[in-house]
Amino acid sequence: MQRVFYCLLLLTGFFTAGFAAFVYAREDPAAAGPIADLLTVSSADYYQALIAEVAGNWQNYGQLFTTLQGQWFWKASLLTITVVPGLFLLHYLVIGAKHFDQGGEQVLFFPLLTRVVHFFGALSFSLLVLTGLMIVFGKYIGGGTLIRSARYVHLLSAMVFVVPACMMLVIWPKDMLPRRHDIAWLVLLGGYLSRRKKPVPAGKFNAGQKMYFWSVTLGGAVMAFTGYVIWGMGADVESVRLAAIMHNTLGMGLLAFYLTHLYMAVFAIAGSLQSMKSGYKPKEEVDILHSRYKYQQGQEAKRRF
Amino acid sequence: MARVKFLCDVERCIDCSGCVVACKEGHHVPVGVNRRRVITLDQGKSGEKSISVSCMHCADAPCIAVCPVDAIYQRDDGIVLVNKKTCIGCGYCFMACPFGAPQFPKGNIFGARGAMDKCTFCAGGPEENFSTEEKRLYGQNRIAEGKVPLCAGMCATKALLAGDADVVADVYRERVFQRGSGVNAWGWSKAYGKE
Repeated sequence: MQRVFYCLLLLTGFFTAGFAAFVYAREDPAAAGPIADLLTVSSADYYQALIAEVAGNWQNYGQLFTTLQGQWFWKASLLTITVVPGLFLLHYLVIGAKHFDQGGEQVLFFPLLTRVVHFFGALSFSLLVLTGLMIVFGKYIGGGTLIRSARYVHLLSAMVFVVPACMMLVIWPKDMLPRRHDIAWLVLLGGYLSRRKKPVPAGKFNAGQKMYFWSVTLGGAVMAFTGYVIWGMGADVESVRLAAIMHNTLGMGLLAFYLTHLYMAVFAIAGSLQSMKSGYKPKEEVDILHSRYKYQQGQEAKRRF
Repeated sequence: MARVKFLCDVERCIDCSGCVVACKEGHHVPVGVNRRRVITLDQGKSGEKSISVSCMHCADAPCIAVCPVDAIYQRDDGIVLVNKKTCIGCGYCFMACPFGAPQFPKGNIFGARGAMDKCTFCAGGPEENFSTEEKRLYGQNRIAEGKVPLCAGMCATKALLAGDADVVADVYRERVFQRGSGVNAWGWSKAYGKE
């Protein structure tokens, strides 16, 4: 009888100890951290715990960044700087530039302040595009001091560009707000697909200019922020990766817009570069390309600025 | 040609950071730049493990893929090296690297990053072997001297192995056969526990 009692007591003790050990073992890994039981699991799990400590979750954005930067960004940039100008060349050859009577009556379109703001914006943005492309295609230019300098110029131009971009946001937003006739302008593609001088629906700025304006100012803000993160790496590595992806993707979009704006200003509308210097546009051009714009004529216009 | 490899045996690494100090001292690596680091997981908890991490000289290295100026290249023996004269310090390699290996010296103009610096497997760089230029930019070239990298050479517990991949794998396999790995590896209970 006594032996049976002892056996039962021992068995109960064993079971209690076993149960306690089981519970402890189940709770312990959670309390101890990610790798307390790492060596009972696969080495891949161990690697993941390690890498999270070293370089963030690489599979999150690291892999994406590697694929995009290694294979796609430069190809897409190359496509942008060949296809977009290629299409414009075709347009120039087939349809040609729009010519307006430069000698006729003139309308003050861009007062002095806007011209100065636009000049600094154009200069710094052009430098941003140029140096950005130099970095993207650095391997074909040899890298080294030249591309390193391009990065410094990229940073300086960005700092300069912030000022005119902010001023544009003060001067132009009213004229840049989307209107209903902008849809008609987009459907017509601004009338650039025909040689006829038929008035197109646009206010002071057409839908294309509005799109460019908002992508350069609001998109520019995103570019400035992500660029700042990339430059200083003042964030965890995953955010820096995401910032680099955003910066390069958005950058290509802005590049396409920039090339379009450049083509319009330099080639598509004869004398348009001149009007950005003098501020005056031929009345004929305004009546056709900005048919909804209520401009002031004569002496009254000159007094506005 | 043989391919080189680093292997850190986590059962042996004791977090002494000797490899880090040897590397920094031997190559005169500037302050703030670490070509090698010891990472400790679950510090102070049961199951704490340390591992020495540097450039792993990947077979399909992401840093080479993303470099916009082709400053990074791979030798036939697998060693990944950087040409500091071509590097523009953009930091893409750091973003692409799963080991956080690329490092950048600070203090340049406009707070820009200097040329990327990382583990060379003690194989110098693209400059002429044993030239002063190579020593100044990349540190010692022990591979050309026929020696193992400094970190592995000085590792007191021989946790860090470096060299021909096949030989390194053989050494490690032998160890695992003798002592087991993971929970079966040696430790306190194996050393002091009763039979």
